[in-house]
Amino acid sequence: MSRLIRSRWQRWINRRIPRSDVQLLTQRNLFILPTAPGVVFGVLLLIMLITGINYQNSLIYLVTFLLGAVFVGAMHQTHRNLAGLELTLVQTGEGFAGDDILFRLRAAAGKDDAIAVTLSDGDTSVRIGHVPSGQSADVALPVGSAFRGYLRPDRIRIETRFPFGLLKAWSWMRPISTAVVFPRPIAAPDVVSAVDDGEQTASSRSPEGNDHAELRPWRDGDMSQRVMWKRFARSGQMVVADWEADKRSPHWLDFNAFAGADHEVRLSYLSWLVVERGKSGSRFGLNLPGQVIEPDSGPAHATRCLRALAVWGEEKPRDAVGAPYGTRRTTDSGRRAKPGAVI
Amino acid sequence: MSFWNRSQQEPETQSDTLPSRALLWLMVSFALLLTPQFDRLPVWLMAVCVVLAGWRWLAQQGRVRLPGRWLRTGILLALIAVYLIRVQGSFTVDTAASFFVLTVGLKWLETRTARDFYVLFYILVYLATVNFLFHQEVHWALVNIGAIGLLLIGLQVLNAPELPGGMKAGWRRLGVMLLKVLPIVVLLFVFFPRMEPLWSVPLVSGKARTGISDTMRPGDISSLAQSSARAFRVTFGGSMPEYRDRYWRGLILDTLDDGTWRQSGYEPYRRPGRVDLDGGVGELQPQEYDVLMEPTDQRWAFALERSVAVSDNVVKEADDLFRFRRPADSPVRYRLARDNSPEQTVPTLEPGQARRYLQLPASGNPRARALAADLRQSNSEVGVIRSLLSRFREQPYFYTLRPPRMPDNGIDSLLFDDMRGFCAHYAGATTFVLRSAGIPARVVVGYQGGESGAGDEYLVVRQYDAHAWVEAWVEGQGWVRIDPTAAIAPNRIESGLRDAVAEEGSFLENEWASAQRYGDVALIRWASQQLDRINYQWQRWVVGYQGQSQMDLMSRLPGGFGIKELGYLTAGIVGVGLLIAGLISALQMRRGASRDRYGRVLGAWYQLCERAGVPVRSGETPSALASRLAAAEPAVADSARLFARMVNSHYYRPQSKSASARDGSDEIQRMRRLLATMRRQLRKAGKNQRSNPRHLAHSGKLSD
Repeated sequence: MSRLIRSRWQRWINRRIPRSDVQLLTQRNLFILPTAPGVVFGVLLLIMLITGINYQNSLIYLVTFLLGAVFVGAMHQTHRNLAGLELTLVQTGEGFAGDDILFRLRAAAGKDDAIAVTLSDGDTSVRIGHVPSGQSADVALPVGSAFRGYLRPDRIRIETRFPFGLLKAWSWMRPISTAVVFPRPIAAPDVVSAVDDGEQTASSRSPEGNDHAELRPWRDGDMSQRVMWKRFARSGQMVVADWEADKRSPHWLDFNAFAGADHEVRLSYLSWLVVERGKSGSRFGLNLPGQVIEPDSGPAHATRCLRALAVWGEEKPRDAVGAPYGTRRTTDSGRRAKPGAVI
Repeated sequence: MSFWNRSQQEPETQSDTLPSRALLWLMVSFALLLTPQFDRLPVWLMAVCVVLAGWRWLAQQGRVRLPGRWLRTGILLALIAVYLIRVQGSFTVDTAASFFVLTVGLKWLETRTARDFYVLFYILVYLATVNFLFHQEVHWALVNIGAIGLLLIGLQVLNAPELPGGMKAGWRRLGVMLLKVLPIVVLLFVFFPRMEPLWSVPLVSGKARTGISDTMRPGDISSLAQSSARAFRVTFGGSMPEYRDRYWRGLILDTLDDGTWRQSGYEPYRRPGRVDLDGGVGELQPQEYDVLMEPTDQRWAFALERSVAVSDNVVKEADDLFRFRRPADSPVRYRLARDNSPEQTVPTLEPGQARRYLQLPASGNPRARALAADLRQSNSEVGVIRSLLSRFREQPYFYTLRPPRMPDNGIDSLLFDDMRGFCAHYAGATTFVLRSAGIPARVVVGYQGGESGAGDEYLVVRQYDAHAWVEAWVEGQGWVRIDPTAAIAPNRIESGLRDAVAEEGSFLENEWASAQRYGDVALIRWASQQLDRINYQWQRWVVGYQGQSQMDLMSRLPGGFGIKELGYLTAGIVGVGLLIAGLISALQMRRGASRDRYGRVLGAWYQLCERAGVPVRSGETPSALASRLAAAEPAVADSARLFARMVNSHYYRPQSKSASARDGSDEIQRMRRLLATMRRQLRKAGKNQRSNPRHLAHSGKLSD
């Protein structure tokens, strides 16, 4: 029953707050309710009123009404803290699976000051604090990631309890933009042994490897650089050189090199390798089914490789899909299967 | 080891989460709320509170640690033990208040998290409420409300510790908020139906209040004479009586026993009923007078001679005395009227009554008895009284606040040796002599006098106006008032105690801080009178605004309001108030949103696009949107592109303020016209497409 209500409520909110990277808080999408201390305060006011009635004490009546009116005034103030505030998702961060990925958000206050504002996603919350009228403040909200791929929190909650903490006004932002989460690096077994053997194994492989270029017919997704254009000119057949051997060379990090391992594990191995190579600054290329990144070096190249590893086989979440993506929370509740495992 | 470390460090890290300033305001508020309780609380409790709050403060500063669980429990048990020993099982309002304060004090040691902070907040707000039960003067009301304000400031700091501006900004925000809601508060105060009490707990204090008591030992009233506390205030419907006629009768003492005068009549104990404060409403008739009495915890009311009760909360009992239906544990207003009609019947004294008023101890004071016998031999009843008064007038009797001690046969030593005494001494002695002479007599205790408040609007009677005099039974006339003090010190009766003891200099000699002590300084006198006037009006109109006075006010309004209608009215006020507040805020929001005229036109365009099936995407440029709209609705293609160009030219052309300001309205007009055209075109297109609906919308979606 409560689940039904909750899902209804969820749908109602999702209709009310469409996905967007920019959220202007207005009466349409701001919610306000008393907090637990606020409810107790209400009970206290009731007790005070009964005291006033019993002792026929006008001043107790007066102070009860005064505090009741202050409560209503606080409702106004609490609402105004957020009303007119514009929340923008400025930048999504990157990181390895399991880490907290930073989402940079900017809160621009409207014509009223935004006071004591907190952003939260699940358990993590970040205090923005005070944003004077007409100014803006940037804040980085860490979102816990569960696995590699695209990461998009379902809802980022923005809340204030100012002035008295008796009421809370809140709203949600449902961002479109996604962060990219790299596969968690796992030390690759192959390389562990390579390190033991030293240069010898690597050098003994590379000369013979060059001869083992296997030829196969062209298929969809192969890069044009790989097509044997000379052969095409001769025979008219699109033949692709499969650089089997080339990929065995230390310059190439190959998805197919880890036979028997799960896809995700392979990606984690590759991720570790990319990080290692990136650290040492050596040249390397990345071969993934359907995607090949030519050998290069430097941090930009490493990031590019990591990104390719992160989104391999993943589909970018569409705007219309309301489901959260890749956050730890959704995984824990088991509502959604791990997308990579299906492939 | 590690367990201990953690359990000791944990609270400390948590206590850091409370902002120091918030805690400070809470403590200041606590101190402020204790001031009205000052005379009620034992000293040790005050000290404990100070120590505990100080401990908490030092812990906040990081100088000391907050006590661990065991120490805390120990402190708790020790303090409760001390409390129980001190209280010794008597349950009064004072002990309850002490316990309340003790819990707050103990809570200081436990205030670690925001939740504890709120618990303290609730307790302190209720402490302010309890304070209102005992003190209702303007200044105490201000202290209490100010303390609540401080609590609210503390909450603000707790919720936004980083907020700049600190206390000033906090007060300003609170003040603005209060100003906004004040009309509703006032309306609620006036119209909220004052219901009958649901149940009642008597507010009986264990502490003796300053005021006259029902026994009179020589010396009692002279200690009262050193107090300038207010006894009651009176407003007269007609003219005020002369000073010498202001005899406020309170109670009658008729039994002399071991040098002490007491009441013999058994005052039946009334079960404390519901609080009934209705003290009469409407304009005062010329004969009527309205008394606002300070709490005495007693049932007696003070009245002029020959009065009748007007309000329901006082009843006339035997001996022309007035009594409340329940002890006056809070300020009471009641209304009486002077009865000037001549008495119809000749009063008679029943034999039992006569015996009662002739009671004397079997022995003692032989010289006074001899004097009585002497007077009685040569005179009639009236003659005895006359000659006794002239004896007081002619012989060197003194009226003094510093009478000598007269341990044995006090009346004899007063009449024949020392000849120095206070009104109580003389009244007692006179009654003794009259009774010895066979004339029924009784001591009357009450107040005599009272000075005018500001503007001569009302009379203030203070404790130093306490007085004792004598009533004697004269056959054919009834009870006759005899005041020996008038014979000895006419000043006392004509103009008050201050003049009577002016030479002696003993007027309020121990009350340094009393404004009455410096009554001859014009400025102080004026200031204290004005202050008292404000308080009087406050008590009559705000504090005393209760059931009957509310009904009276309502009956003057058209429409005949009953308590039920008042209930509806109150609900209506709350509803309308909330509605108005909501409307105002909605209007403000709208005005804020529509300040930019371009923005409004743009909004209208976006709406139009959405209706045409081309929802706006975030970050889309106007021209991109226009081209999508054109693809979806070819009919409006040209207008849409033109519109997008205009939007672009407005937002992206170089800033030249004067030109843009002048052209602005012109441009807006053209854009509006363009919008209207597009709407028309869309409608037309829609009619044509009715046979083939939703086609365009689809193509619009696919085009992206």
